[in-house]
Amino acid sequence: TAGNKILHFGACRVSMSMTEIRAGFTAIKANIQARDPIRSLSILSHPHSLHKVNSSDRCCMTHHLFKFYVDKVFKHCKTEDSYVNRKISSIANSFLSMKRKLGQCHEQNQCVCGQESTEKFKQILANYEGLNVTSAAMKSLGELDILLDWME
Amino acid sequence: SGELYCSLLNPRNVRFESINMKNVLHWSAPEGTGNGVLYKVKYSVYGVGKWIRKTECRNINRTWCDLSSETSDHEEQYYASVRAFLNGMFSDWVETTRFNPLTDTKIDPPMVSVSSTDKSISIVLTAPEKWKRSPEEESISLLQVYPGLQYNVSVLNKKTKKRWFFSISNHTLVVPWLEPETAYCVSAQIHVTTPILDSGFSKEYCIATLKDK
Amino acid sequence: EEALLPAPQNISILSTNMKHILTWSPVIIPGETVRYSVEFQGEYERVYANESWIPISECSLITAMVCNITEDISATVAYNLRVRADLGARRSEWGTLKGFFNRNSTSLTPPVMKVIADGYHLLVELEDVGPAFQFHVLYWKKGQERRMQQKVVKEVSSVVHLDTMEAGAEYCVKAQSYVEAINRSSSFSQTQCVRAQGDTSMWL
Repeated sequence: TAGNKILHFGACRVSMSMTEIRAGFTAIKANIQARDPIRSLSILSHPHSLHKVNSSDRCCMTHHLFKFYVDKVFKHCKTEDSYVNRKISSIANSFLSMKRKLGQCHEQNQCVCGQESTEKFKQILANYEGLNVTSAAMKSLGELDILLDWME
Repeated sequence: SGELYCSLLNPRNVRFESINMKNVLHWSAPEGTGNGVLYKVKYSVYGVGKWIRKTECRNINRTWCDLSSETSDHEEQYYASVRAFLNGMFSDWVETTRFNPLTDTKIDPPMVSVSSTDKSISIVLTAPEKWKRSPEEESISLLQVYPGLQYNVSVLNKKTKKRWFFSISNHTLVVPWLEPETAYCVSAQIHVTTPILDSGFSKEYCIATLKDK
Repeated sequence: EEALLPAPQNISILSTNMKHILTWSPVIIPGETVRYSVEFQGEYERVYANESWIPISECSLITAMVCNITEDISATVAYNLRVRADLGARRSEWGTLKGFFNRNSTSLTPPVMKVIADGYHLLVELEDVGPAFQFHVLYWKKGQERRMQQKVVKEVSSVVHLDTMEAGAEYCVKAQSYVEAINRSSSFSQTQCVRAQGDTSMWL
């Protein structure tokens, strides 16, 4: 069933429809990843793995990443395939809805940014800016399962 | 040098087949080639990109290669690639799609053990273990890899032919108040909501309740 | 120049149990078959993607006045919908849904439920209304309403075991559907009561 997850970040509790996002991504994963020929670079997982983010920074890192995808990534992922575009739209709108919920925690100081998450997110942005925008956006979209795996 | 260079058709359908994170690379021989084709395999960690030759799969004539050891960190993602060669000719390297051990593996059904009294049956379920290099290595249950793992259990009353379903998170289930001297058949499935992973149902384990004391 | 086709009117959405159907009135041109195309725009497209619209391929150049938009309305945000008519080279302006549509406004019907007593076992069968749903099933021994118990049922493909019953006792059950994605529940179904086998003296 549509498994919503209540993600606990200390006082910040956010309900996220992970299964819907997963299903949307799984439907286009092969198509999107096939558009990313660069094997030697990752936006999210190298040189720093998300799995090494300590728990106190998880909320802020999650908030950073949702903003990153909503503000920077999805808009540069338009394809010639209408089905893929529709799935990207569904993921983007789900991310927007969740980014808003995380934003509320952020405003209520329940999603404080530590040194570590700030540094790690800077590295992610540097990875992103190291590529041309379309390649970077498509690579980031292809790495959505890295984000989802980490969040779960 | 001066070797006659002409290319061999590519291996086909190069892909990972993974069960309980035992990750084996499989492929089909190039079209139209009989015996005698040999293969070599390499793999890379996504984001690192350095291709690493798999020495145990160099000059092999089989069409699979176990890369479980090389892809055992399920927080990473991987590519693998195969090249065919025959009589001095060789094919291109043919790659897999990106392989994510966490989401792209299949899970075996749980092990089911059943015991009974006159009026109840007790069911104990054991989730499969993640692949490990050797028997001595510490076992990791898939329960640890997928914390949201649940079990769906089916109990069939062989007399009435009625089937009941239970959804449980822990690994034991006692069904009380049953008919004495009646056969019940139990099978179970693993259900993971995110990522979306379900095992098949196990085979049925049948047991009869004892005579009424 | 040929007259512009009139834009489709009365565009509305019927949304029940997280199934969202877009409907509109036909554009009538005597003796002709008018075709329609549908596009949607989520809040993301409105705010971050230059108000772009996305076509629904299953509802492109169709003759029906109905389009199932469930697959595309897959986030709990405000969506815009629009429909256009085509007849040969002639094309209408877009007709747009008045106001936004958010799936959290879907109407949720009480679940269709069948309660079964099988010996001393209380079971329930629930109609599968889709992957977004789970069910909150309440059950109690008749006369002991204050000791009501609840079970959350997510897998409804079959007869689900609720609990064991005391011999000869009567048990009652009611259920409501719950959609996590929009955090809303339906009203409760009718209560159904069944009796366990045996007679109550077994328990004295």
